[in-house]
Amino acid sequence: MKALQWQGVNKLSVGTVPDPELRNPGDVIVKVTRTVTCGSDLHLIGGYIPFMEKGDVLGHEFLGEVVEVGPDVRNHRVGDRVVVSSFISCGNCWYCDQKLYSLCDNGNTNPVITETLWGQAPGGCFGYSHAMGGNAGSHAEYIRVPFADVGAFTVPEGVSDERALFASDSAATGWMGADLGGVKPGDVVAVWGAGAVGQMAARAAVLLGADRVIVIDRLDNRLRQVEQHIGAETINYESTDVAGELRERSGGRGPDVCIEAVGMEAHAPGPQFGYDQIKQQLRLQTDRPIAVREAIHACRKGGSVFVLGVYAGFVDKFPLGALMNKGLTVRGAQMHGQRYIPMLLDRMAKGEVTTEHLATHVMPLDQAPEGYRMFKDKKDDCVRAVFVP
Amino acid sequence: MSRTGKALLIVVPLAAGAAVAVKRRRAGTPVSRRNHVVTVYRPLSELESAPLPGTLKEIADETEISMRPAPGDRGTEIAVHIPEGSNVSDGDVRRALRETRSLLEAGDVLLPSGPPATETTALNRPLQAATRHGREGGLL
Ligand SMILES: NC(=O)c1ccc[n+]([C@@H]2O[C@H](COP(=O)([O-])OP(=O)(O)OC[C@H]3O[C@@H](n4cnc5c(N)ncnc54)[C@H](O)[C@@H]3O)[C@@H](O)[C@H]2O)c1
Ligand SMILES: [Zn+2]
Ligand SMILES: [Zn+2]
Repeated sequence: MKALQWQGVNKLSVGTVPDPELRNPGDVIVKVTRTVTCGSDLHLIGGYIPFMEKGDVLGHEFLGEVVEVGPDVRNHRVGDRVVVSSFISCGNCWYCDQKLYSLCDNGNTNPVITETLWGQAPGGCFGYSHAMGGNAGSHAEYIRVPFADVGAFTVPEGVSDERALFASDSAATGWMGADLGGVKPGDVVAVWGAGAVGQMAARAAVLLGADRVIVIDRLDNRLRQVEQHIGAETINYESTDVAGELRERSGGRGPDVCIEAVGMEAHAPGPQFGYDQIKQQLRLQTDRPIAVREAIHACRKGGSVFVLGVYAGFVDKFPLGALMNKGLTVRGAQMHGQRYIPMLLDRMAKGEVTTEHLATHVMPLDQAPEGYRMFKDKKDDCVRAVFVP
Repeated sequence: MSRTGKALLIVVPLAAGAAVAVKRRRAGTPVSRRNHVVTVYRPLSELESAPLPGTLKEIADETEISMRPAPGDRGTEIAVHIPEGSNVSDGDVRRALRETRSLLEAGDVLLPSGPPATETTALNRPLQAATRHGREGGLL
């Protein structure tokens, strides 16, 4: 079958790979009908998460049709239209029982890498390096989905492919940031990053009853989308003093909940960026934590900061003093998709969560390398490139 | 801390893979270390009612296995001690604990996806060596 393969740092190509096989009795094989780029892939493609092998198939946010079913699968049949959580979880361990699905004890076949790096191993993910299980990704004609009864969800009739696709990863991630960040009615919520993840976090905050939701980015097209489709306010960090503006818009208190949806390749105007970029290039830090620093500094006393952006290792100049003295709660996670996808599909059916505007570029899988180039460089106002295998 | 960052990121897991290989070679010689322990999210009464399944059963004769209830309804703690002279390595025990936990909780042990799409190149080889023993390494 055809698949998008990682061939080395910043090198992608479409090649032919063997068709996936059922390996465990709880697996299904899905014929991929839509699969989309995610900001997380950029960290892999650029070599910031150095556990990729030449030939690995990328992609973890997808939707498709079940074409083969393992003998233990109960909830799915051939022909089902399913959206699949990007994280792979057994559904039966203590973590899954707590609905902390991305922390599943049984979803990663390679716990060696992450346990050594981080002390404990989270679960596995599709197309997300050998640290996360080395599972083949979704930018392909077919994909094997393990623990399909837990991770694959039948899409209701009334929800289009274009909309349901984003329940797989970005909408679930955004919802988690607002939910576990503790957004309540009356809160002022600030979101760093107006990519699909930040936009979905902002939408979740609006639906959870926040009084004001403010999204920060520098890309005008994305900020326009936030105003038109998400119903939130915006700040362009290149033309505005973010800290001052947030203080003013929150009555001098600072936002109650700050959600970071930028990640380890954050950008900044001014000397801070040069400092972080050089340290990252010299391997003195793995990640650039620019937005996290800003969020911690802006957050109101006793408020909460949720880190949705992906980080791999170590950061420099982490404002521990502000965190401690302001009594903040800082939390982060890979997405617990299984916890949110059914609710999101419901809200998508009702029109409360819409995502079509995120798919700014739809193209055949053959053009995926070009799709990633546009997505990476944010060219032609690309927010997400969707591939149709 | 002059060599943190990505260099460390790359070195750590490969070193972990290498550690697995070294420990395998040393199997048979005593490795004096603490016990290997996992918590399985099943009640002690259930685990005691039948022999433990999977890989843990295979190494049971060469190791000392003990169980006790985990606090806070978290299931059962299974601890494995490797006695002097045992042929079982730390890697064998880690893999057995992880596989048996998965069998008890999820009814199955996840296999890697396949057939592989990657080739064996000079650059791929170290990572492939480490992940071939993906459940044997780590800190458990
Ligand atoms: N936690 C999870 O499970 C999970 C799931 C999906 C994605 N992610 C992560 O979420 C992050 C965002 O993903 P995405 O797909 O939306 O990516 P994206 O690249 O499309 O969007 C990131 C946005 O951040 C903006 N940005 C850069 N520096 C900034 C700064 N200093 N302040 C404010 N905005 C800044 C960029 O202009 C861009 O619009 C990535 O790190 C990704 O890895 C996490
Ligand atoms: Zn993602
Ligand atoms: Zn689990």
